[in-house]
Amino acid sequence: MNEQACPEGQNLPPTFQQVIMNLQKYWADAGCVILQPYDNEVGAGTNAPATTLRALGPDTWRTAYVQGCRRPTDGRYGENPNRLQFYYQFQVLIKPSPNNIQEMYLGSLRAIGIDVDKHDVRFVEDDWESPTLGAWGLGWEVWIDGMEVTQFTYFQQVGGFECSPIPVEIAYGLERLTMFVQGVDSVYDIVWSRGADGVTFTYGDVYLENEKEYSAYNFEVADTDFLFQEFTDRERDCKKILAAGLPLPAYDAVLKCCHAFNLLDARGVISATERMAYILRVRTLAKACCASYMLHVVGMGVEDPGVQFAKELEEEAAAAAAALEKAEEEQAAVEDAAAAANSNSCGSTSCSASSCEGCPSAQINSL
Amino acid sequence: MATTDTLAFEIGTEEIPAFDLKNATAQLETLVPQALDAAGIPHGAVAVYTTPRRLIAIVEDVATATEALTEVFRGPSAKIAIDEQGNYTKAATGFARGKGVAVEDLELRDENGVQYIFATKSTPSKPVAELLPEVLEGVIAKLNWPKSCRWGTTSAQFSRPVRWIVALLGTQVVPVHFADLEAGNLTWGHRVLAPGAHEVASADDLLNVVEAAYVVPSQQMREEVIRKGVADIEAKTGFKAQLPPKTLTEVINLSEYPTVLMGTFDEEFLQVPEEIIVDAMLMHQRYFPLYDQEGKLTNCFIIVSNGDPAFSDNIIEGNQRVVAARLYDAKFFYDEDRKQPLDAYVRRLDEVVFQETLGTMLEKTTRVVKMTARLVADADLYVDQARDIARAAYLSKADLVTNAVIEFTSVQGIMGSYYATASGENERVARAIAEHYKPRFAGDSIPADEVGQAVALADKLDTICGLFAIGQAPTGSSDPFALRRAAIGVLSILFAGFPISLVKAVEGSLEIYFRSGLEFDSGAVRDEIIAFFIGRLKAILKDEGATPEAIEAVLSTGVEEPMEIAKRVRALEEARKNQPELFEDLAVAFTRANNLRDASLGTSFKRDLLTPVEADLAAAVTSAQSTVGKAMREGDFAEALAQLAKLRAPIDAFFEEVMVMDEDPAIRENRLKLLNRMVGVFSTVADFSLLA
Repeated sequence: MNEQACPEGQNLPPTFQQVIMNLQKYWADAGCVILQPYDNEVGAGTNAPATTLRALGPDTWRTAYVQGCRRPTDGRYGENPNRLQFYYQFQVLIKPSPNNIQEMYLGSLRAIGIDVDKHDVRFVEDDWESPTLGAWGLGWEVWIDGMEVTQFTYFQQVGGFECSPIPVEIAYGLERLTMFVQGVDSVYDIVWSRGADGVTFTYGDVYLENEKEYSAYNFEVADTDFLFQEFTDRERDCKKILAAGLPLPAYDAVLKCCHAFNLLDARGVISATERMAYILRVRTLAKACCASYMLHVVGMGVEDPGVQFAKELEEEAAAAAAALEKAEEEQAAVEDAAAAANSNSCGSTSCSASSCEGCPSAQINSL
Repeated sequence: MATTDTLAFEIGTEEIPAFDLKNATAQLETLVPQALDAAGIPHGAVAVYTTPRRLIAIVEDVATATEALTEVFRGPSAKIAIDEQGNYTKAATGFARGKGVAVEDLELRDENGVQYIFATKSTPSKPVAELLPEVLEGVIAKLNWPKSCRWGTTSAQFSRPVRWIVALLGTQVVPVHFADLEAGNLTWGHRVLAPGAHEVASADDLLNVVEAAYVVPSQQMREEVIRKGVADIEAKTGFKAQLPPKTLTEVINLSEYPTVLMGTFDEEFLQVPEEIIVDAMLMHQRYFPLYDQEGKLTNCFIIVSNGDPAFSDNIIEGNQRVVAARLYDAKFFYDEDRKQPLDAYVRRLDEVVFQETLGTMLEKTTRVVKMTARLVADADLYVDQARDIARAAYLSKADLVTNAVIEFTSVQGIMGSYYATASGENERVARAIAEHYKPRFAGDSIPADEVGQAVALADKLDTICGLFAIGQAPTGSSDPFALRRAAIGVLSILFAGFPISLVKAVEGSLEIYFRSGLEFDSGAVRDEIIAFFIGRLKAILKDEGATPEAIEAVLSTGVEEPMEIAKRVRALEEARKNQPELFEDLAVAFTRANNLRDASLGTSFKRDLLTPVEADLAAAVTSAQSTVGKAMREGDFAEALAQLAKLRAPIDAFFEEVMVMDEDPAIRENRLKLLNRMVGVFSTVADFSLLA
């Protein structure tokens, strides 16, 4: 395919977008639903609901999608050739895991122009655990000639629930993989596209400015008061949505919390002790979303986390109402006291002066 | 006639983690013969072969049928086994059940004129082929993995998914079932060198087929290949490779067909501290670094590939690019980190948690600095040492927030030392920063000078005292903060002569915590920590050859200072070794006296009531009281023991000639008072009753 796309018929390696399109074609042929990137900030392709939530329950599910991932603390102002605060993963999730999945994976490498027979491809132990998701899995990082290009994981548990059947997740680092395929040493030198007329765009053309600006934003500019408030608001919102029994929009709120937290972290305003507390808050929400999904979507008889949240919110509302009432009572008491003090004044209902002394109306009355 | 066949059993898997594989190999070596024996299957030698993608057991000379067995057991006598009505009693039925024989089949036989019941159990010969599926399935189930994986729709568990099983007895397939698989006679070759299925005609062929399919089937064989390849490169280059056991095990179990290759990186990167380069190569990439004849790191390294040797150039080039990228990162971090002086990082330690309740690394640093001040005062060190110690303590953890250490964690301390030098700190401060984590493991050396030692002590004591104060002392196998190792580290530094009181240091550390607002029961925690140190110390002394009774004898006097305990135990053991009979005798005498002792009477005996033998003892005890007391005050424990030894003759004479429990209460009491005084003299030194 790439041969046709290049002008002089030279045997040029695939472009970044060809790598993506070839992977999409390959996994589409394998029966996957090709989704478009999820339109919410995520730290990894795993965190998109098509993986996290769909991994739950007994139904067959196969999907593949590109996902832009945001890791604010990894920003390097475009100065490091291997590190980005925004990058792309190609995510595959297949449930139940097929028997020949490793072969299928190697086939996908061939599909993007890596002749695996001429390289050293290894599956190196790398187990995965996400405390914030209550999830873990067993698998490998896949190396090609010593370069880690893929995470390959059999999910065992998600949201505190045992997976059954077991999904397998394959997460390709698209930039790494393309750097390997194209033989370039800087991410910014990746050829993104090459037109029939030979015009090329590099990764740098597309994203260097983005890296510079976002590094500055993440580390220096992002408004921390706003983000702290956002975290709290989204958390509350998530609970409210779960109380309404809607795990999918609730999960969006969790992703927003995560992103706010990541930005705060990059701004260096989360102290070490606070950090743990924030992670716990996110975990509570994420696990609750999974439980709600199990209940409302999968149809399993698990406890509804929404009930607890509804109660919490009600109590909160009741407490707020009580506080308001108390404030009103206090206000009334103050007014009563003022009125009592006024009783030795002129007695005029419209008069709020505490005494008639110096009051022009009093002087008038006394006349 | 017994015929035999070879049994070949292969569990084909996706890549099993290196250390789990090593462990499983050892398990199989016992599990397979055990399972066969338990099923009564006669067999010859069992050989186990493993690679990341397969576990193989080859058993020679497996009988094709089990032996028919007739066993006769004698049970209880007829008197017990048969009641008056002639029925079998509970004893008889129980015996039958125990032997697996029906009650009706019990027989009565006469043995030496007594009637007993007998059970005859016949186990008929069974075809082994029928027994093997259960035996081999049992082997799979009994393999123990640190973490087990489920996959697909099966409920089976294994280290990683199982993809094929070969089970052959001779040429016959043994129908072993596991997960959704049934055993067959097809094995899989090396992923790229001989992909796909390969037929195995008979059990004897399995290894040949596997080897022909580019699989080096055992850990030992792969290790040989790798060591030979490394030796060839060493011979060719004149360099020397470093093969740490952990990385070697991983490399052996990360390939089925290892090829040893050499790569290089740009010499420019050799400006980066060696430790980072080595960390990147060993920990991250599993390469072996090469050193020149002077022991300096070179820009060459060894790769062990699992790929096709025909494409080695390709594979080397790819690996070189990975190393270049890693070292580029390392150099970038190293250069970035040095743009600020090391002390500028200290403030940022508030981003790193030491322990949730005990706060951040910044708070720890503050405590460690305060602690070193106390150690300096107690040890009475020179002013310039004190200045270096305070500075090193302040900077000791600063590198934890530098890029290089965040990325390459094993170089903590070492990077701090480089950065300290770059920021103009003196050599002793820089070295102390690198060394204050020492000793890092059993047998590791301690920091080289007082500066490093003081910071190491303060850091370790802070960790130990803090975790005890919040009730997180190590329990059983759980010691997440490695407090035991820290305690041994503290003791090693003290043994090397760092002149402080550990008890005072512990109290000092707790006081620092207390003043910082941590709430805990300081008395109880202090006692717990001292007991913890004494526990470690006992283990060390026992390793040196001290007897438990000598240790307890010394501890019974209530001495808490570990160095003092060690000194006394050593002196006591030395004295006992030199004069075993004398100390045995003293111990016996002391025990006698101690048993008779009546503390309520006091120690003021009347001289005029003493017989000459008693008077001798009284004089000796009185003199010992002052000489032993003086020796103990001067810390000369050996001398104290020597003085006690002088009491042997008068004590022996006393017990030989004097009847303590005289009928006259006045005389009896007077003698007991004398004994009380004697016991008192001994007791300040050690509890001799434990040495009897």
